[in-house]
Amino acid sequence: MYRATIVVPAFNVAATLGATLTSLQAQTYQDFEVIIVDDGSTDNTKQVAEQFLDDRRFWYIQQANRGLSGARNRGIAESSGEFIGFCDADDLWHPDKLRRHIRHLDRNPNVGVSYAGSQMIDAEGRLLSVKQSPRLRGVTAAHILKRNPIGNGSSAVIRRAVFDDIAYVHHEAYSAFSYFDETFRQSEDIECWLRIALLTDWDFEGIRGLLTYYRVAGDGLSAKTERQLDSWENVIAKHRSLHPAFFARHEPAARAYQLRYLARRAISNGDGKTARAYLKRAWSQSYEPLWAEPIKSGVTILAAPVASLFKVSAPAQKALVKANVPTLRQSSQSPFQPILKGDHYE
Amino acid sequence: MSKPRIVHLLDDTTTGGVTRVVTHICNSQRLANQAHHEIRVIPKNTADVPVIEADLIVSHLTISWRGLAGLIALRAKHPNISLIHVEHSYTQSFTALNVAKRERFFSLLRTAYSLFDTVVGVSRAQYSWLVTRDLVAAERSCVIRSAVDLSAFAALEAPTGPCRVFGAIGRLEPQKGFDTLIMAFSQCQEPDARLRIFGRGGQHEELERMAQIDPRITLEGHAPDPVRAMSEVQAVLLPSRWEAYGLVAQEALAARRRTLVAPVDGLCDQLEDGAHRVARNTVADWTRAIDASLTADLSKIPDSQARLSERVAGVFERNWEGLIARSLVKELPVAA
Repeated sequence: MYRATIVVPAFNVAATLGATLTSLQAQTYQDFEVIIVDDGSTDNTKQVAEQFLDDRRFWYIQQANRGLSGARNRGIAESSGEFIGFCDADDLWHPDKLRRHIRHLDRNPNVGVSYAGSQMIDAEGRLLSVKQSPRLRGVTAAHILKRNPIGNGSSAVIRRAVFDDIAYVHHEAYSAFSYFDETFRQSEDIECWLRIALLTDWDFEGIRGLLTYYRVAGDGLSAKTERQLDSWENVIAKHRSLHPAFFARHEPAARAYQLRYLARRAISNGDGKTARAYLKRAWSQSYEPLWAEPIKSGVTILAAPVASLFKVSAPAQKALVKANVPTLRQSSQSPFQPILKGDHYE
Repeated sequence: MSKPRIVHLLDDTTTGGVTRVVTHICNSQRLANQAHHEIRVIPKNTADVPVIEADLIVSHLTISWRGLAGLIALRAKHPNISLIHVEHSYTQSFTALNVAKRERFFSLLRTAYSLFDTVVGVSRAQYSWLVTRDLVAAERSCVIRSAVDLSAFAALEAPTGPCRVFGAIGRLEPQKGFDTLIMAFSQCQEPDARLRIFGRGGQHEELERMAQIDPRITLEGHAPDPVRAMSEVQAVLLPSRWEAYGLVAQEALAARRRTLVAPVDGLCDQLEDGAHRVARNTVADWTRAIDASLTADLSKIPDSQARLSERVAGVFERNWEGLIARSLVKELPVAA
């Protein structure tokens, strides 16, 4: 029995898995096991993982591809820890991350989901100027719906009791219980967090510090944004019946934030036209992002036409970077490469 | 020697379900052999609690900040007898959906529960929540699953033939989740299927409007005789958003109806008695569950369901008998 289990879903990550596992081995808090769930990799992910199996706390499991949710579900099913953390196989944990989260959870029995901010890194592991510094306290279901303070899939350490409370038997599931919804291949994080927020009374709370190094992908993702929006809409549609009044009140603003995020992604791709279209749709839903986050929204509005020219002047780019618009600054790649992977909010 | 006197406190807004459970206690022959039970109704949230001549007081009141002064007065005015509180209202899902300031709410519950010698959970799921969230100490709490007289339901004919008539029974309030059910049922393709909703409440107009899209769905209004309502359906659906126990599920199970429950709070307790679990309380999962029921064999009744009525009555009385026996002997603090 270990105090904590860290689940590492791994799909064709031979290039980065070693660094991820090394960062876990180097944790200052040592009472944990690592479950590497190889989700049907076709590269030599297995060989990389095997180098770590001399450490008796490391376990390697192989399964046919089920997607990120399926890999996490398998990891939870095989875990023994009282606390469960997730670290995607291209991200890194700060050496003190686990200790701080366990201390946080030990001291706050009402907190079920403990998370922290993240520092973005590039493909080579260099620090980028972009950070996720989410709201840490007083987090409600509305905050989760609108701003997803957990931020990314490698940030949270969660009490097992929380998963026990949301476990369900899926009609097509591979394992006995599902926790993450395997029918989603995108938006699976927000789906799960929203379910925890609406079905259980566990608190979400963050701790200070940037404790995850979150690797941003360099490949173009613009074609996927519309699909990403679809999957987000599916999440909303699926949960609406749980609490109709809650969604009636918060859904338009949440959609506006989501659309603004997609606009910012489009700007990163140099596609100002799409960005402006997203922003227009955002304001038709709600003006909340304008008054709640005026600087971020304002910069996005200003950046949209600039991005469409595809050449950002140095001062404008500096402004973007300063205001935390996702652009690569230190990479050798084009400054307009998208730097946020997956479908997470910035 | 005369029998001990036990007073059950209700407030004037207590729901029908709670009143029926308390009445069931008062009508029990076995419990009457042990003590004399009576019901006393007091105004909601009153601070002016009377001094009650009793050997044991059982509160079925709803805890609130406004009622806290009354509970403190209740404790202060009855220092030498045991006080029991039965928690009929609060659950994990209630808290998730209704409470913005949880720490404050938990403080209320901890404070209120600390005034009682014993706190009773009405389902195992609810009890587990009370204890794991440290709202009450395990040694000062227990679980007694609620019960009513199920014999009239058990006497009903078991349904036969293909499962077509679905029922939803309860107050028409968002808590009961009948809106989810209407959306789910309207997506089910079987033309002969029916959904009959029994009950009244604040959501009536909204549900009626929703039900207009599908002539197979009817709102039947309040059913003064719940046994009769039960006799008119083959399956009972409980899509509650929160539910401390779910007596309707017990009634449906006793009547050998196919019973589908959301995986919520005390409804999870119904699974071991033969209820079917709907994976999640979403429209899609309810549609799937209703579709699956259309082809279900109604003649196959789990053993757990067949003799539920007798079993439930016995367990309920035995548990209360034990709790009362323990509580009548209050250990007084020894003078220093």
